[in-house]
Amino acid sequence: MSKEAKFCPGCGYPVVLRFLHTILKDKKLDKKTALGLDIGCSLLAWDALPINTFQTHHGRVVPTMVGLNRAKPELLSIALVGDGGAYAIGLQSLLWAAMRNDPILVVVVNNTVYAMTGGQMAPTTMVGQKTDTSPAGSDQPAVLGPEMIRGLSPKAYLARAAVNDIKQLNEYLNKAIDTCQSSNFALVEVLSFCPTNWRTKGAETNERVEEMKRVFKVGEF
Amino acid sequence: MLLKILLSGDGGQGIQLMSDLICRAAIQRGFFVSHIPNYGLEQRGGVSLAFIQISDNEIAYPKFSKPDIAVILSPQARERVRNYESRIMNYDIGEHKDVLAKNNVSQQSYNMFFLGLLSKLLEEKNILQREKVFELLKEKLGKKPNWEENKKTWLLGIKN
Amino acid sequence: MKTDKKQFMTGAEVVVRACVDAGAKMMFGYPITPGTEILSHWIREAQVNKDLKYLQTEDEIAAGFCVCGAVLAGEKTFTATAGPGTVLMQDALSMADGMRLPVVVIIVQRGGPSSGTVIYSQQEVNLAIHGGNGEGLRLVYSPSNLTELYEYTRLAFNNAWKYNFPAVVLSDGFLMKTRQLVDLGFKIKNFSAEPIISENTQKNIRNIYTFEEELGEKLARDKKDFEKMADEVVKVVSYKVVGCEILIVAHGIVAGAAKEAVDILQSQGKKVGLFRPITLSPFSAKELNDLARQVKKIWVVESSMGQLRDLVKQNLDVSVEIDGLYKPAEGIGSDEIVKLFESF
Repeated sequence: MSKEAKFCPGCGYPVVLRFLHTILKDKKLDKKTALGLDIGCSLLAWDALPINTFQTHHGRVVPTMVGLNRAKPELLSIALVGDGGAYAIGLQSLLWAAMRNDPILVVVVNNTVYAMTGGQMAPTTMVGQKTDTSPAGSDQPAVLGPEMIRGLSPKAYLARAAVNDIKQLNEYLNKAIDTCQSSNFALVEVLSFCPTNWRTKGAETNERVEEMKRVFKVGEF
Repeated sequence: MLLKILLSGDGGQGIQLMSDLICRAAIQRGFFVSHIPNYGLEQRGGVSLAFIQISDNEIAYPKFSKPDIAVILSPQARERVRNYESRIMNYDIGEHKDVLAKNNVSQQSYNMFFLGLLSKLLEEKNILQREKVFELLKEKLGKKPNWEENKKTWLLGIKN
Repeated sequence: MKTDKKQFMTGAEVVVRACVDAGAKMMFGYPITPGTEILSHWIREAQVNKDLKYLQTEDEIAAGFCVCGAVLAGEKTFTATAGPGTVLMQDALSMADGMRLPVVVIIVQRGGPSSGTVIYSQQEVNLAIHGGNGEGLRLVYSPSNLTELYEYTRLAFNNAWKYNFPAVVLSDGFLMKTRQLVDLGFKIKNFSAEPIISENTQKNIRNIYTFEEELGEKLARDKKDFEKMADEVVKVVSYKVVGCEILIVAHGIVAGAAKEAVDILQSQGKKVGLFRPITLSPFSAKELNDLARQVKKIWVVESSMGQLRDLVKQNLDVSVEIDGLYKPAEGIGSDEIVKLFESF
């Protein structure tokens, strides 16, 4: 990365960004990519990479990338978005982009909380998980993004990886980009660290991701 | 010269078609025209209005409250345009019931009768040529199934 | 009578023609009365003209953001909406405000609040200018008739791309449904659209700032640019104002009725003139104040409860009596305006 953007220590976003950038360079696509950012911690990536990057609004990066892609299909359109942006405020547009099979790559960073606003309940907050806005523990089941989209978008590439398994993450991102290059929709959800809002340290943070994997199955769908 | 015509009827009675033909025929005589439709929320069954203005100057505003000529094709429309009193001429379907019945005019062709009436009146006022209206009418409906009846009814309107 | 070379068209057909002539290649939209026909005419046109692209989106929000995305890629593109759709459009328009994107929106005003009516109003003035969470640095044109609708839609594209501000063509349901003879003779060289990002750029663009001073400085620069643009784009008509004692202020289609009324009133020897802002933003404050110094009273006439009046008040430096005819969501004809001055 060109700059160490202002992510918290231990955040999963920089891992995702680093891999994304390496893959784009390997595929010689770094000059042919437009990276759109949702609002949330994703916005911190605005100057992280030496590729065309811009911020949008909360929940609106997907329709922005749909418009960009339709105007300029030669550019690889990537939307980087958190779980809230993808599955709550931006869900309608996400589903429609998938159903229309718009050839954009959506990378959803799932850390089970609204992190930038200080750890509120997210669509991916797990049952029983305590957050700023679910102090007694969440009582609604977490949204399973790729599973939800699977039946709606037959040609889409849908996968879930985790930042603590970089080999798999690398593989899925590669396949997702190839899918977009062959004019289909792709979404990779990445289970990510948020030690700041989880109030976890070192190994605990990693354990939390392993815990998440019991609710959010990693793999291709 | 500025002539304001208000056509009214039930949705589906062909009010906007009448309006279109009158406007186009007046344009051919070199007049400025303006036409604005007005419907209710319903796709069917509401009142359909057409505000037409024909002038030898540019028309600044499409709506008006006092038409010179009002045409009313249904009781529902009569209720809707009660506030729009006409200054010259009122063509109300109520006054032509007998002629329409005597000539077996079907409901779908009522608009043709009134188009005939208007064609005659507007020709007298040098606003259009009735042949032009007929030509445009034929262009639009000539190949449709009810053409003979529509033509007959238009001619009936001319004669009344 | 010079009706030759003019075409008998509806407002929606005029908008589509203007957008095509302006070089727009793409429309994103969501059906809403009375603006739907713009989308359907564009799509009909696209069946013949294969250069034209379109997408009927899932809602107005997506339509607006698709426009933002396409604009970033250098595409001349637009959307059209109305009433509750104009409310939703503020999300994308606000991003265009912040990122200085040449987004063009055709607003077709209908009655409000809420779903209101599907017919007509002049109640979206505030939304058109100040609907975003910012300072309202948008170019807003208010055409009076279909020939102007053509001209100002062309200018909206040109000036949006020239000055990098979002542009709104503020029309209404009457204008959009009306058919008139339209003069399409307006000639202007299209301003070219350059991509903001492409294979040849490496830009990192933000619209959210860490420090309040950063945003303050950015807005100060934007404001300066906006004022510079204002000198070049502001448009106003002062009609028969020489020696007038009463100044009618009206915009859009109501200004058409007011112009007719002024003709009638002056033929009766009444000293009534018309001030008509064509650009509601930027607003022609200088002309308004020059006239306000000369007249005894200003009469605002609008199909809203005072959105234009508030705009007038914001821009007045002169103390002058203001009265008005405010008919929210109802049309105003020339006869009604003439009546106002019966005893004058």
